[in-house]
Amino acid sequence: MNEKLSLTELQLIIRDSLHLALPDFYWVVAEISEIKENYAGHCYLELVEKQAGERNVRARARAIIWNTRYRLLKSLFENVTGESLESGMKILIRVRVDYSEIYGLSLIVSDIDPSYTVGEMAVKRQMILKRLEEEGVITMNKEHEFPLVPQRIAVISSGSAAGWSDFSRHLRENHYGYVFYTALFEAVMQGTETERSIIGAFERIAENIGHFDLVAIIRGGGSQSDLSWFDNYNIAYYVTQFPIPVITGIGHEKDVSVTDIVAFKALRTPTAVADFLINSVAEAETQLTELGSRIADKSRGIIAEHKDITTTFLSKLMPLAKLAVADQKERLSNRIMGILNIGKEYLTRAGFIPENLKNRLNSSSASFILSKRTYLEKNRMDLMNYSVKIIENQKMKLSALDNSLDILNPVNVLKRGYSLTSINGVIIRSVKDAEKNDVLETRLQDGKIKSRVTGKQYLKD
Amino acid sequence: MAKKEFSFTEAVKEIDKILNAIESGVLDIDKLAGEVKRASELIRQCQKKLRTTEEEISNIFRELI
Repeated sequence: MNEKLSLTELQLIIRDSLHLALPDFYWVVAEISEIKENYAGHCYLELVEKQAGERNVRARARAIIWNTRYRLLKSLFENVTGESLESGMKILIRVRVDYSEIYGLSLIVSDIDPSYTVGEMAVKRQMILKRLEEEGVITMNKEHEFPLVPQRIAVISSGSAAGWSDFSRHLRENHYGYVFYTALFEAVMQGTETERSIIGAFERIAENIGHFDLVAIIRGGGSQSDLSWFDNYNIAYYVTQFPIPVITGIGHEKDVSVTDIVAFKALRTPTAVADFLINSVAEAETQLTELGSRIADKSRGIIAEHKDITTTFLSKLMPLAKLAVADQKERLSNRIMGILNIGKEYLTRAGFIPENLKNRLNSSSASFILSKRTYLEKNRMDLMNYSVKIIENQKMKLSALDNSLDILNPVNVLKRGYSLTSINGVIIRSVKDAEKNDVLETRLQDGKIKSRVTGKQYLKD
Repeated sequence: MAKKEFSFTEAVKEIDKILNAIESGVLDIDKLAGEVKRASELIRQCQKKLRTTEEEISNIFRELI
């Protein structure tokens, strides 16, 4: 018992025992709790095992992927899963147990099975979707009414990412010349901070909700951007509960995340989101101009109709007016002729009339005739004016008549809230027409009502 | 005092109402011109809203960030 071992000797014994006891490679399922790559390109992992719903870790071990191996495994993993190795991820790895007298126990990773992670992610995703569905919230954001003109946009994105600048430039340079207002709420778009950061952005937007028409979550698309950060219950739940539509453009070619599924609309890229917004506004404007042209067409129709009526009227009235003018003209001519004849008669009766008097008479007769001609002309003008006035007057009456004709049409009268009442098909006009227990039929614009008379009452003067 | 904010949606509703009145024939011929004028004014305002930057909104958005 007095034999003493140096620490090194002990560690070497442990190492040899371990190697002896665990000579093989083992496939192990574990969750990454930490991962880092050092300057030499070796990858150091902290692996844990947690039970669902438990906070405490059941098992923990260190693992290493040496740089040459890591380069291979990393790209294999990313190609298959579309994700990079991140903490929180469940992996299936082939390991050898190693023991170092300085660093203690570590698992040396020789292989990784990405299909396990794919399956795990799919299961996790399905569980989130199932939970949202069971809670009855999964379609809530889609049920919002989309704003007619989505001009005021709250953007959740990383400010430095290409996605944000693409998005705002695309909106700004739309060829319709539409104005868009964007406010960026910065958030981390991948990694363990994603959930906390995006929810924080949602909360800041919610404080100013009245200023926004919708939220756009955007992220520039690398070829391999990891979508799993958006397969997140809390982010998805926030989207479903958000009081305005949320649109995503988080840049993934193949798959959609849970956040995409619950969003009002999911698009692939920030640019696609911008295009969608521009087109929405353009649609609203088209709708507007269509309304405008329908109003114009209909109004032109109404005016043309009324012009037709007045033209018809004018064409009937004009000959009558002309006739009246001609008649007046003749009567005036006759009067002038009469006056002239009287003048002549006087001359004849007088027999001789001194030359100067004759001249005076002639000239005064001429001026008399002239004055009468002027009078006639004036009279003619007056008559014409009068006729035109009558026509104008008639035009107005006609419009009024046209309106009242329209109003008098029973259907229109019924539309205005009046009704027709009849007994056995005969329209009644007086209280006298109805007797107690008679069945009245009341016609309204959209149908008939039958009722029985239970009493009568006359209006008192 | 901020003036009442012009709402595109409200304007479209009103234009639609005018169109319905004209189409249903309920509108009096004497009021036609007035209503058409109102509709075209609303359309003009809507189009302006789509294309003109409103300082008020821009300022709010600047402060939000």
